[in-house]
Amino acid sequence: MSVLLRRVCGSAVVLAVVLVLNFFLFRIMPGDPLTGIVDPRFSPEAKRQLAAQWGLDRPLSEQFAVYVREMLSFRFGLSMMTGVPVWDELKNRVPNTVALLLPALALSSALGLWLGTHAALRRGSMAERLTLLAGAVSFSFPSFFVQLLLLMCFAYLWPLFPLRGTTSIPPPEGVSALFDYIWHLALPVLSLTVLGFGGFALYIRNMMVKALGEDYVLMARARGLPRRRVVWNHAFRGILPPVLTILLLSLPGVVSGAVITETVFSLNGVGRFLLEATNSHDYPSAGAAFFLLALLTVACNLGADLMYVLVDPRVRREAPRG
Amino acid sequence: MRRLSAICLALLVFLALAGPGRLGLLDGPRAPSYSKPYWLDRSVAGTLVLNASGGGDPHEAALNWSYAPPLRVALTGRLDDGFVRWSTPAKAFILADAPGELDLDARDIPFKRAMGISPFGNMAAALFPSRGDYKLELVGSGAVSMKIEGGRWGLLGTDHRGRDAAALFVRGIRVSLLVGVTATLIATLLGVSLGLISGYAGGVTDSLIMRFADVLLSIPTLPILMVMAGAWGKGLWNLVIILSAFSWMGTARAVRAMTLSLRDALWVEGLRAIGARRNYIIFRHLVPEALPLLLANVALGVPGAILAEAGLSFLGLSDPRVPSWGRALHEAHTYGAFTNGAWWTILPAGLGISAICLIFMDIGRKLEERVDPRLAAAAKGSVRMEAEE
Repeated sequence: MSVLLRRVCGSAVVLAVVLVLNFFLFRIMPGDPLTGIVDPRFSPEAKRQLAAQWGLDRPLSEQFAVYVREMLSFRFGLSMMTGVPVWDELKNRVPNTVALLLPALALSSALGLWLGTHAALRRGSMAERLTLLAGAVSFSFPSFFVQLLLLMCFAYLWPLFPLRGTTSIPPPEGVSALFDYIWHLALPVLSLTVLGFGGFALYIRNMMVKALGEDYVLMARARGLPRRRVVWNHAFRGILPPVLTILLLSLPGVVSGAVITETVFSLNGVGRFLLEATNSHDYPSAGAAFFLLALLTVACNLGADLMYVLVDPRVRREAPRG
Repeated sequence: MRRLSAICLALLVFLALAGPGRLGLLDGPRAPSYSKPYWLDRSVAGTLVLNASGGGDPHEAALNWSYAPPLRVALTGRLDDGFVRWSTPAKAFILADAPGELDLDARDIPFKRAMGISPFGNMAAALFPSRGDYKLELVGSGAVSMKIEGGRWGLLGTDHRGRDAAALFVRGIRVSLLVGVTATLIATLLGVSLGLISGYAGGVTDSLIMRFADVLLSIPTLPILMVMAGAWGKGLWNLVIILSAFSWMGTARAVRAMTLSLRDALWVEGLRAIGARRNYIIFRHLVPEALPLLLANVALGVPGAILAEAGLSFLGLSDPRVPSWGRALHEAHTYGAFTNGAWWTILPAGLGISAICLIFMDIGRKLEERVDPRLAAAAKGSVRMEAEE
């Protein structure tokens, strides 16, 4: 399957660009990487020693080689703040981010799909008005504002959910630990769902309306097929590839949303780690978190690409020629 | 609806140009932190200043008080001779009787002891024991003023540093408009040039530019913006450049597609046949053709830039000296606006961002419909599938 191979190569190119960008971003900034963390009163000898410790005195090509090796082996070097390997600090945070994003993505696409289809089937109904409203909200309301409001309403004024954190302190034992985790993640996931389903529903509605006007749908109706089959097996099957494209293009935005969500809800995830590292000029940590977020996006992209190949027979058939 | 958003935009631009100073709103700490908006709670006192000055005869400033005791009371000024008396409905206090500069605060322990109040007592409550008529008298000569700070201030209250939230709100319009419009304009310029080059040149150039756009499109934007803002400093113009560098891809794709379809159109073929140069065709025919669409594109792109700026500011990655709406939300989140119940530091900024985005989206959509009337027909719903019950 050369299509698959091409997609994998494309993802590898993206990752390579991210790697190079990541390396040079921290090298071409004003001053050297040490100015951010070193007191200006440090003696030149101390600075030189620190530079030697971080390997900043080597030639750029050697630095790059070491950097690529560290990145690809997932060790990410040592944190400039704590001196601990970055991966040791990151590995506990990756599951939290995944546990935040995957349910939110699944919920919002399911809700968007359901609502968008209903809106397309009954134009002018409540469902359509709700779709338009939710679409406007998700395109124009800043996510952190909506999340702050939710937090204020459902965690402060009416304390249904915890105000902050991924687990209670002290963390509970056994099965209740799982419930505690779900309880802490419920509001963030819900808020991401509320913010995400509108845009998705709007796309589905627009494409569904167009598809329902097509001749092949008319043909299916003329054959006397039940409505459910007309909608799902014919119209929806027809718009599935563009729907997947939209989903694919929205993934970087979803990952970006994770950073803000984790900040608002003080979740212990990769995004907040990136923010903390950026604020404390801890470049190896920031670079590693950025690389991981990009990796997450690329992996999801690749997954969506594979699904695309499955649902769109034209892609498969074009393969031998391309 | 179109007129409404145009009016709103004009109002916002006016507010941004006039600025808080021209509107009589003041920057800088003014009142206790998290003071409520003036109209919110009538049982709390506002912030007011009593002045008494002159020489010879007694001078006084009267006050009718009907609230709970204020949060802070301070007496400043100069006393040449005589004394300052504060009469409450219950009793009178001699606040100062020694000549010299006065700088007394009701929280100072020596001041409390001089008034016969325990060091841990609440002197503001002692000075304002009940409702009724109060009087600040200067018997002698000098100039004194008494500042009484209640929990109510201004149109929108104050933030965690006691700054006027209304002034900060007006300030924030400028940043949002400036960043949104300039970043989108630069991004559009980039997108148009790269799209034109890509579409017209074709071949290796085309695939290079388009692959680059693909790569940028599949990198999560906010993390890279964060890394860049963190690495290059938090200035406003840095932000504009970074934002525009990462939002030209959509425009470039659209322009390229249009150029591709126009390049092989008959009338362009005809132009080429009569010997028109490439630059002439591009700038006199292709660009004007694309212009209306681009205008709509700019308007529709502004919300994205504004939201990205607000997001970065919310994460604390904006210039701390430039008040913006995102920054206001960042400070509200960081400095415990929740636990103070200070919704007035959250709602105006958030609604402002949303409103400005909605306005630009509405204008953009109207522009789009004007360029392509078919869109208007589609929006009204010409396709219908009846419920088959």
